Amino acid sequence: MYVSHNLPLVMAYVNALAVLADPTRREVFERLRGGPRPVNALAAGLPVSRPAVSQHLKILKDAGLVEERSEGVRRIYSVRREGLAELRAWLDSFWGDALDAFKLEAENSYKSQGSKSPVRKK
Amino acid sequence: MNNRVAIAPVRKTIRVNAPIAHAFEVFTSGLTRWWPHNHGVGKKPIQKVMMEPKLGGRWLEIAEDGTQTSVATITHWEPPHRMAMIWQVNAQWKPDVAMKSEVDVRFSADGPDATEVELLHHKFETMGAEAGASMRKDVDGGWPGLLERFAQEAGRNQS
Repeated sequence: MYVSHNLPLVMAYVNALAVLADPTRREVFERLRGGPRPVNALAAGLPVSRPAVSQHLKILKDAGLVEERSEGVRRIYSVRREGLAELRAWLDSFWGDALDAFKLEAENSYKSQGSKSPVRKK
Repeated sequence: MNNRVAIAPVRKTIRVNAPIAHAFEVFTSGLTRWWPHNHGVGKKPIQKVMMEPKLGGRWLEIAEDGTQTSVATITHWEPPHRMAMIWQVNAQWKPDVAMKSEVDVRFSADGPDATEVELLHHKFETMGAEAGASMRKDVDGGWPGLLERFAQEAGRNQS
């Protein structure tokens, strides 16, 4: 299990970046972006063993970046699009709040300079 | 295809009812007056957040006990039109000079009394230099207090 705290956005953010920090894992993830694949196809050409690739896939899956489904006896892996969306959503709100605070200060300090009053409408 | 995981950039725009020179000055030299203190990455509690307004200047957090934390370094300085910085925060949202995601901020005048500000945070894939193993350990062992504070903030904003 990953974390039990109820920190959905930050959790997704941290997990996604941490998990993609590993170059091999990043390569596995990158290969999946070309479409769903079984472990065999993912492992071909990679300088690590198939069990190692499976382990990377498990970590990617725990972080919400990859999902798997069964097809007969095979497991097919694919990118979970929402994984990266959660990461972006967090950063988006981070900068959104900051810019709101910036706007407030820029406008208030401009007005209080005693300069000509700001244009109210275009 | 390149071998990096592309994470779509964060792009935010905001319109400020102030002239371009004023907007740029407040964003940079005036950072300390508006940056939300709960958005910090360094030691808490934060006494001051400031920016050295020049090429190569740092974005600094100064804690109440005097600890200084460098958050970013300015890599492009073109007042009052544009400034860009390397955002030196790692996957744990902690300061790390090895990190290289980029925050690019552009200012355009919309008449004499208004400015459009566009902020682009991108190149997130470069944040992945840290070994995943130690990270994993941190995550499994419980979240650092820092992240809990961030979580509260994120949760508040989402609700």
